Amino acid sequence: MLESIYESDKLDFIDMKIKETKIKIPSYEITSESAYLNRRKLIQSVGLLSLGVGISEPGFGQDQSVQTLQSIKNEKYSTSETPNSYSDITTYNNFYEFGMQKSDPYMNSGMFEPKPWSVEVSGEANITGAFDIEDLIDFNKLEERIYRLRCVEAWSMVVPWVGIPLSAILKKFEPLSSAKYVSFDTVYRPDQMPGQKRRILRWPYTEGLTIQEAMHPLTFMAVGIYGKELLNQNGAPMRLVIPWKYGFKSIKSINKIRFQERQPKTSWNISAPQEYGFYANVNPSVDHPRWSQARERRIGTGFFGAKQPTTLFNGYADEVADLYRGLNLRKYY
Amino acid sequence: MMLVPYFLLTLKSLGYLSGLGANPVETIIHETGLWGLRFLMLTLLLTPIAYYSKIPSINKLGKPVGLMAFFYLLNHFLTYAMIDQAGDLGVIIVDIIETPYLIVGWGGFLCLLGVASVSFKRLENWFNQNRSTISGLVYTATVLGVWHFYWQAKVIEIESLIYSIMVTVLIVWRFKISTNRSS
Repeated sequence: MLESIYESDKLDFIDMKIKETKIKIPSYEITSESAYLNRRKLIQSVGLLSLGVGISEPGFGQDQSVQTLQSIKNEKYSTSETPNSYSDITTYNNFYEFGMQKSDPYMNSGMFEPKPWSVEVSGEANITGAFDIEDLIDFNKLEERIYRLRCVEAWSMVVPWVGIPLSAILKKFEPLSSAKYVSFDTVYRPDQMPGQKRRILRWPYTEGLTIQEAMHPLTFMAVGIYGKELLNQNGAPMRLVIPWKYGFKSIKSINKIRFQERQPKTSWNISAPQEYGFYANVNPSVDHPRWSQARERRIGTGFFGAKQPTTLFNGYADEVADLYRGLNLRKYY
Repeated sequence: MMLVPYFLLTLKSLGYLSGLGANPVETIIHETGLWGLRFLMLTLLLTPIAYYSKIPSINKLGKPVGLMAFFYLLNHFLTYAMIDQAGDLGVIIVDIIETPYLIVGWGGFLCLLGVASVSFKRLENWFNQNRSTISGLVYTATVLGVWHFYWQAKVIEIESLIYSIMVTVLIVWRFKISTNRSS
């Protein structure tokens, strides 16, 4: 274990040297003092572990040194509810690319490499091609937004995301009027994402939005949580957050964006079309065929915490109900 | 020995072994349900094991292993009813009716409840005289249990697939043996 950590230190060093010759080191890729110290601390704690002292910390055992991110809190779009703990948010995840158990993404995502990262943009837009993440996201304009997250499995969390509105990214590509939908892919790397070795879903994981949904000010591209870069289990380095839809719409580790005229085929919809619709708006009165969506369990309320009622559009009806005027929400679930 | 998973779960709920995770209620419901089903599968496996090993006394384990399965599933049901649904009977009834896999699971649990309630010492004679009814109920409970397990997941899980195949093979085997005997 110690050896592998030293090795990755070495690799980082080689990595930097290669970048130096290109004279292009994005500031956030340089190991900061705090990340460096964290890494030292990790090595020390590994030493402690061998002495029989257990330390449990999210990300422990995985060399995920994350940078802190500067952001300005967006009060308008933030809930006043108490956010879940960093530990809950980083150990209880659905990310089938790393396994089907809630703890699998935390346990199995250590070898995933979110840096460097590039995104392929294609389809109905004036500007298309491959772009580095820093071309897409202005790291000087990050916002913090505290959103509710409602999973289709009837549990929920409150997460302080850091990122930028998706519309700010999409506008850069000048979408054409024929771009009625936007689809997104999660990266396909079965060697780094062990869950992709089994065909439990159609890989790469694909999700999509109407262009109106994608351009909505609430739709967010997150790069961090709690002022730190995303950990691998949360969808590093960039993931969508659509707070009024069930969690599976908020696709993680995005490496492809397509502007399309037709509605994209999405992974869960292909897997079970009668259970997971394209829209997947949170709606307590439209049940999942196999379970009720009327109530949800808020993670972190402890063993005796009661379930709470689920609200239409996850409580964001004032902002998004206009998108669905005249749409039969029972038919278009 | 069969209580080891239970003690591990108890230790976890006291905060040891890195605890029950972010969703403790779900962890307890999943773990007790899974172990209940595993012991139920073991109960059914005892008959072919005794048959092929020619050690009929293995069959005597059926009752304790079966009761152990019931013990886990009682915990499974009580955690769902009293903690997850906060003991609200009206809410529980609506939830079971609205959730198909809960109807199936509840059916299986009733079968086992019947078996467990006649397993007391005083009813020993009745228990021994109605072996075929008892084993029929245990088989039904296991089929419903596997169905319930399969049905609650978002995608097909390997463990439920293995149990489905095992249950099918066991039932076919059982029918073959009993028709062989009667002919």
